[in-house]
Order: sequence, then structure tokens, then C-alpha cells
Amino acid sequence: MDTAESKKTPLYDEHVKMGAKIVSFAGFFMPLYYKSIIEEHLNVRNNSGIFDISHMGEITIKGKDSSTFVDYVFTADVSKIGQGEIVYSLILNEKGGIIDDVTVFKFSENEYMVVVNAANTQKDFSWIHYIQTEFQKKGKDVTIENISDGIGLLSVQGPKSRDLVYPLISGVVKIGKCGLFNFNFKPKQVRELKHFEFSCAEFKDVNIEALISRSGYTGEFGFEIFVPAEKTVILWNYLLKNSHLSNLLPVGLGARDTLRFEAALPLYGHELDETINPYDAGLEKYLSDSKDFIGKEALKNIKNKEKRLIFFKLSGKQIPRHSQRILDENLKPIGCIASGTYSPSNKFPIGSAYISDSCVNPSFLRNFFIDIRGNFEKAEVVLPPFHRNTKTISSK
Amino acid sequence: MIKNGSFYFAKSHEWIGKDSNNKYHIGISNFAQSELGDVVYISLPEAGKTYKKDGKIGEIESVKSVSEIYAPVDLKIISINSKLNDTPELVNQDPNGAGFIAEVEVLNTADISGLMDYNSYQTFIASHHE
Repeated sequence: MDTAESKKTPLYDEHVKMGAKIVSFAGFFMPLYYKSIIEEHLNVRNNSGIFDISHMGEITIKGKDSSTFVDYVFTADVSKIGQGEIVYSLILNEKGGIIDDVTVFKFSENEYMVVVNAANTQKDFSWIHYIQTEFQKKGKDVTIENISDGIGLLSVQGPKSRDLVYPLISGVVKIGKCGLFNFNFKPKQVRELKHFEFSCAEFKDVNIEALISRSGYTGEFGFEIFVPAEKTVILWNYLLKNSHLSNLLPVGLGARDTLRFEAALPLYGHELDETINPYDAGLEKYLSDSKDFIGKEALKNIKNKEKRLIFFKLSGKQIPRHSQRILDENLKPIGCIASGTYSPSNKFPIGSAYISDSCVNPSFLRNFFIDIRGNFEKAEVVLPPFHRNTKTISSK
Repeated sequence: MIKNGSFYFAKSHEWIGKDSNNKYHIGISNFAQSELGDVVYISLPEAGKTYKKDGKIGEIESVKSVSEIYAPVDLKIISINSKLNDTPELVNQDPNGAGFIAEVEVLNTADISGLMDYNSYQTFIASHHE
């Protein structure tokens, strides 16, 4: 990505003021870390952390035929969820390859919001627009809008994140306007939200209304807060001013990656891309049996997994990196690294890899080697997640 | 450990300096460690081995990246800082002291005059990395 084209989130100046190390990621200047990836990571596992994830994209889908539309575009049973609920889903191309992994928020039968990966916002919007055009030709009522630039998105994650959020919001819940959104149903109290439910939060003192969801990308209890772009700085500083409530630290993309990977959550461009199908990635549970969707026909012809995702740990200290080769015990190449990182919770390197050699049965694979710049480092297959007592296959 | 004013820096961000016993040490600069972030692994050079100026002597790996370490001058490794095997974070905590890489013998002292002193290095960083 050319840094000259990178955009800034509403919080860019705040990151610079706090001394963050800034990198270009998915077309945005983003904080990689403020002080230390490891310290920020462990603070999310033990206390709480706040992330600027305003780079993520948001696309709204509205109109009488929205439910039919979302069920066709997304692989999961989207229209079946209730108002105020969220579902994780994939978007596939006609060949069954993964265009993106997303979350879909349901406001009503006629209104949804899709949260997409920053690097894919334009691609997803163009794809969804293409399908929408086909729908409109058949006289269906669906409109879509890319509202990403108008939204600041904060993520508050960690076991203590509730100690920060609950005291700072008023207990009022009402039907109607909520920041940029319009709730045509009575949302739950924020304290009563379960995982993958959303509501409206009114932040005291600063009088900011924002959509708040119980969701995240760390494997911890947490919230994501969708706030009007022009109010993002005020809300960010308000939450940080109250950091004593939950030992809150600002957290950059570096720890966002190590946290998501320990929790074995996939990252587009690493575990997922258009050459990988949902079976390869082990995401078949997000494919609906009860409806048609784009890519479903192609998936019927995929009898055997072409690749298979495995997770591993290393006994050495060198860190495996994306695209490095993996080799069997006779040093024959059998696949490639998807993600590799250092696990701050375990203090050893961990990773994921795709086995692409059809002669290798991943169920029987225990140990293999990774070619890390010419060093063959021994790896052991494990069952994720990595942040709660990682199990080796033999101890399963 | 290294006497003030006796640090010299390479463009590749290694330092070399003399301690109070006139022994030379090498390490990576404070700027370099701050750019790398949390260091989790260092592949150290071999004691007894000689390296040419700008030759690769090791690797330093942080959570997000890996960089090569180069010899700032023609040198021979007298001993390595073996504490870095178990506590590589010393490079972040004290890059000019306890986080040094190795004690070395300088094989060509003229090489040192080609390096930057502290002030020149600060100017170099400011002009190349801002």
C-alpha cells in the first residue's frame, strides 16, 4: 500500500500526541503500538485496552427486500437473527473463494449494517453494489451506502472493560435516534447485552450517543462503539480520562494482531483470501444449509479440502512469518505459513499454516519444520486457542 | 558502562564504544530499538569470529519485524552478551548498557573515524526518519 495515499482516522492527531509508532495499514495511518506490543497485549488479557479501529468499513443495506438480499450476499443465516443482534458471515465469490469475512447488524427486516475489513471496504462495496444492481433490475427494493467515512469506531476489550463502560453510560434506552443510527426497536440495556448483541449507549458528561455492541477481536469480553466521526476524539479522550476505572491502556494494531491470533480468529489476507474456500479455513459452520447464497453452487463441487488450516507452536525463539514454507520431517515442502507471531501470553512463537500437499493427512501430522530464512525450526501442531491452556494434539 | 562521548554510530544504527577499561563494545542504538519495538529474539555473533565492516553479524527480531545487525567496523568478537538469549528485552530497556551485543576487538581503528559521533547521529536520524 502506498503510504502517500493513506487516510487518517479521526484520532490520528491523538495517536501522534501520545507518541504512537504510526504505520500504514489497509490504506490508513494507524498506531502500531504506543509503548509496547507485549505490555498492551497483556493489559487487554488482564485489565482492559482501547483500540482505534475507525479504519474498518461500514455499509448499510436498506429497503423492503433487504432480508432477501442479505441472505443471498452472505453465507450465514442473516435474516433469521433478531433485531439488535449480530452475525459473523463470509462473502463468497461465484467460485466459492472468500471475498471477505464480516459482521452483519440487524436493525429490522428492512435495515442492516455490515462491518467489513478496512482493506476490503471498496472491494466489498463494489461487489455488493453489483449484486444490488442485479436485484434492482428484477424490481427489488434495496439501497446500499458506504458510510465508513462518517463513523469513528472504538473497541474496548478485556475482562475489566465493563468496569469502564457501565459507569459512564446513562441507563436510558429508547426507540429512535441514536447518534448516526435510527433504532426502530427498543434496544436492551447495555448491561444486559450478550455477546453479538447491540444497543444504544448515551455517554454521560460528554452527551454522546453511540451504537455499542458486545463484540471484538481479542477473545476477551468487550465492546465496540460506533460514534459519529466528529465526536470520536471527545469520546476517546473521555474514556481515557477514566482509565483508572479499568486500568485502561490505548492499544495499537500490533497487539490487536497478537490478541486475535492467540484467540485463533482469522485475519483476511492471512488465513482468508479469494483462493481459499470456507472448508479450507475451517469455517463451514458459517455456511447456511437452509437458503441459497452466492458461491453455494461452487462449494457443492468441492469434495475434498484442497488445503487445511493448522495451528502450531515452536520450541525455538525465531518467529515464523506469513508465506514462509513448511516442510515435513523429510524436509519436503507441504505448505505455507498463514500467520506467525510471538505469543505474549505464552512467551513462545505461534502460528497457523495451510497444508497444501494432498498426500499429507493433517490429522496425523504432529511435527514439521518451518524454513525461517534458511533455518529449519521445529514446530508442533496444537489445538487453539492459545490464550487458554493450549493443548497439543496428543493430549486431546 | 560505556564512557560518555565515546559512542560512535553506523548508518545501520549500531553503536561501538569504549568502556572504562578501554574495551570496545557494540550494540544497537536507542533509536533502532524504539523503531523495532519489543525485541523477542536475537541471533548473536560467534565469539572468536572476525567480521568485516558492514558484514552481517546477527539478527534481531521484534514481535512485528526482523532486522539484520551489521559490524560497524572490521572486528573480532571477544565475547557475546549471553544474557540476551534469555532476556532479549534488555535491548529495549538499556540499549547502550546492559543490552549491548558483544565485546569486540577493533581490527582497524581507522574505521571508527568514518562513523558518526552522538550529535551527528542525532542529525542523521532527524533528517532520514522524520
